[in-house]
Amino acid sequence: MLSALLYLRLTSLRNWVRQRVLRLKQPKYLAGAIVGAAYLWFFFLGPAASGGGARRKAAAQAAGGVWPQAGGALPGHVTGVALAIGALVLLVVVVLAWVLSQERASLGFSEAEIAFLFPAPVTRQALVHFRLVDAQLRSLIGALFLTLVSSRWAFASGSPVIRALGWWLILTAFNLHLAGVRFTLTRLADAGLGTWRRRTLVLGLLAAVLAATWAWLPETQRAPVFDGTREGGRVLAEWATALLGTAPLGWVVQPAKWLLGPFFAADLRAFLVALGPALLVLGVHYVWVVRSVVSFEEGSIERAEKHAARVAAVRSGRGAFHDPAAKGRPGPFLLPGTGRPELAFLWKNLLSTWSWLNVRVWAGGAVVIVAAGWWARSHPAWQQGLAALAAMPLVLIGYVIVAGPQFARQDIRQDLPNADILKTYPLAGWQIVLGEMLTPVTILTGVIWLLLLAAAVTFDPAAIKLPSLGRELFAPGTRAVLLAAAALLTPPLVALQLLVPNAAALVFPTWFQATRQRGGGGVDILGQRLIFFGAQLLTMLLVLLPAALAVAGAVFVVRLAGGPLALGVWLGAGGALTILLGELWAGLLFLGRRFEQFDLSSELRP
Amino acid sequence: MIEVTGLAKRYGDFTAVRDLSFTVGPGEVLGLVGPNGAGKTSTLRCLAGIIPATAGTVRIGGNDLATDPVAAKRTLAFFPDEPRLFDYLTVRQHLNFVARVYGVAHHEALAQPLLEELEIADKADELPGALSRGMKQKLAIACGLLHGPKVMFFDEPLTGLDPLGIRRMKDSILKRARDGAAIVLSSHLLHLLEEVCSHVLILKKGGKIAAGTIAEVAARFSQGEADVNLEEIFIRATGGSEN
Repeated sequence: MLSALLYLRLTSLRNWVRQRVLRLKQPKYLAGAIVGAAYLWFFFLGPAASGGGARRKAAAQAAGGVWPQAGGALPGHVTGVALAIGALVLLVVVVLAWVLSQERASLGFSEAEIAFLFPAPVTRQALVHFRLVDAQLRSLIGALFLTLVSSRWAFASGSPVIRALGWWLILTAFNLHLAGVRFTLTRLADAGLGTWRRRTLVLGLLAAVLAATWAWLPETQRAPVFDGTREGGRVLAEWATALLGTAPLGWVVQPAKWLLGPFFAADLRAFLVALGPALLVLGVHYVWVVRSVVSFEEGSIERAEKHAARVAAVRSGRGAFHDPAAKGRPGPFLLPGTGRPELAFLWKNLLSTWSWLNVRVWAGGAVVIVAAGWWARSHPAWQQGLAALAAMPLVLIGYVIVAGPQFARQDIRQDLPNADILKTYPLAGWQIVLGEMLTPVTILTGVIWLLLLAAAVTFDPAAIKLPSLGRELFAPGTRAVLLAAAALLTPPLVALQLLVPNAAALVFPTWFQATRQRGGGGVDILGQRLIFFGAQLLTMLLVLLPAALAVAGAVFVVRLAGGPLALGVWLGAGGALTILLGELWAGLLFLGRRFEQFDLSSELRP
Repeated sequence: MIEVTGLAKRYGDFTAVRDLSFTVGPGEVLGLVGPNGAGKTSTLRCLAGIIPATAGTVRIGGNDLATDPVAAKRTLAFFPDEPRLFDYLTVRQHLNFVARVYGVAHHEALAQPLLEELEIADKADELPGALSRGMKQKLAIACGLLHGPKVMFFDEPLTGLDPLGIRRMKDSILKRARDGAAIVLSSHLLHLLEEVCSHVLILKKGGKIAAGTIAEVAARFSQGEADVNLEEIFIRATGGSEN
């Protein structure tokens, strides 16, 4: 059985590599491969090979970069905090698995493996071992990837080999745990334990453990104390560490700490010492899974079908979150038969998103942000923590503007497979492109407005030393104008940002199709995505430059004339809005024409 | 209703359709037939405005599809061989969406009888994922018929339908033709064309081999024999091969 598995995996791997090498004859894959390989080398492999990671860590420690600590070894309390946070993350994931899991017992076989192996003359135990061994191969690949990603983590082990082995242990235990959860929950369900009773039981147990731990803690450690002498983040981290080190919560997370031990080991000796408890955790998981095996065939078939449907959905452009079992729900708003046809696309595409993306949730979020800000401001102990959070919304706004269009794809990219039907509609191309883009524009604008509100609530000018212009800039009146101007400019800015990937889909459809592949990715696909991302950033810089100049010019002229800064900001925002809308209109007309000329039969081929 | 003059479609060096001219009047049903790769689907897609023609003109209801596509598309409906539906819209929501796109006021009053005629009224609140292949086809047809098109293009309309569905589809096409619609359909099922079409256009390698009423085309290829069916005519006309 294991030889069959090895044959399957090695042959598949050989063919996969061969196919990837052969397709490098096409320029789009070759260019992607060059960029992808350069990215991996300069950001991960190169620094790791030259010992850059270790040097950075040493430099960070010498400079007290993580937190001040003398001595050459990794700071003990830093490792302790990281270990505690890691254990907390594992605990959360495990609790979620026990609470959310609704599938019956299943193992992650593919549809082809089910077709060949289930009717084959092999025992159920052999199938389980086949799957467990196969999961190890996948865990190994995942571990290698995560080793590269974690090469810059100052608190992780300096040795790439130790980090890789550490990741492999974590992923293996995680896979085993998920299989064990599914088997056990199926047994419990068959014994009459309903989903909600099980959820209540698990969450009740967790609440009891947390309550007992909190009661066990000395009174002075029951809440983080922001006394102004230490960083807010450090106070929170140390409080969490103390909480996770106290029984009974400490007992619950101990297996997770044992499992994480090898990953944080500073050297070979520490690794070997930590390996014993970690292997014990693995062994217990293995015995648990093997002994709790129940009928998994139906669950595995259902899971494989769902997985295949998801892959097909991604390949056909319907998104990774396509749910074949989804139920219909009411439209997001009333859509009469007459009116602007573009709104029909907003209505349609809003239905393709999560049901909780609606005005009620948005308004609730705004109320929570305002209420939390008001509450924190009225509690001096939390004010410092609030100030520490002030920059976060602004960072997140930048992230949403840059990366948001990659996630909010309810536009022409999602509907490209339906383009032949869209093209029969009696609408101009720009109307279809605009209509298709309205949903992601609405979603991302809503998120950014919430973040602007959070920034306004958390920002405290008294917490920073400001030069005279800064003092005027952050005066209450000017701040309100700035906030309003930012809110006003958000929709056209987001729409312009979304034009770029939509243009990529229509102008370079074959490239765009290639980047959508799932399971068939590689360095070349990574490189293609990077090329798209770079092009998007560059385009954005070019289209934003005139708007930025308008704002700067207006502020300069108003200041020169001795006017208030707020007036300059308003005038600048008005000019910027005009420019952005003009650029947006030009972009829509271009893409509309492109859509009208789009020849599906010759262009929409992967 | 449909006027095609010198239509050509090329993909790079490959010519899919060459110098095609024909007209389809109100109440006429034209069957497009030909071996695989004859250019049937390319022709239909050019006529529906899905892909641009390389040369020639297509006028739908008097409107040039190239210069006034919006007016031309208001009067037509295209039914692909594989129903293209939106995963997250229920049957009723599909009709709501299409009504807004075509500006159909009071669409609810039109949608309900249409759903009942196509026997999917009881599935009005289901998503496409919960529908059988035949029901999806019916939904696509309902969407196409909602705005009362005067020109219809069907690409392999019987694909995936059960015998009852086939009978109903044939009746539906004939009913629309009787009501004055100009219809073009492509199919490999020659008995369907024989039963439904008033005219036939035989294509091979992108070019027209024969065109006219079924009786005219039969007379041309029957070589004096009586009761020659369309299958025999097709084989004789195309020389019994794709090339």
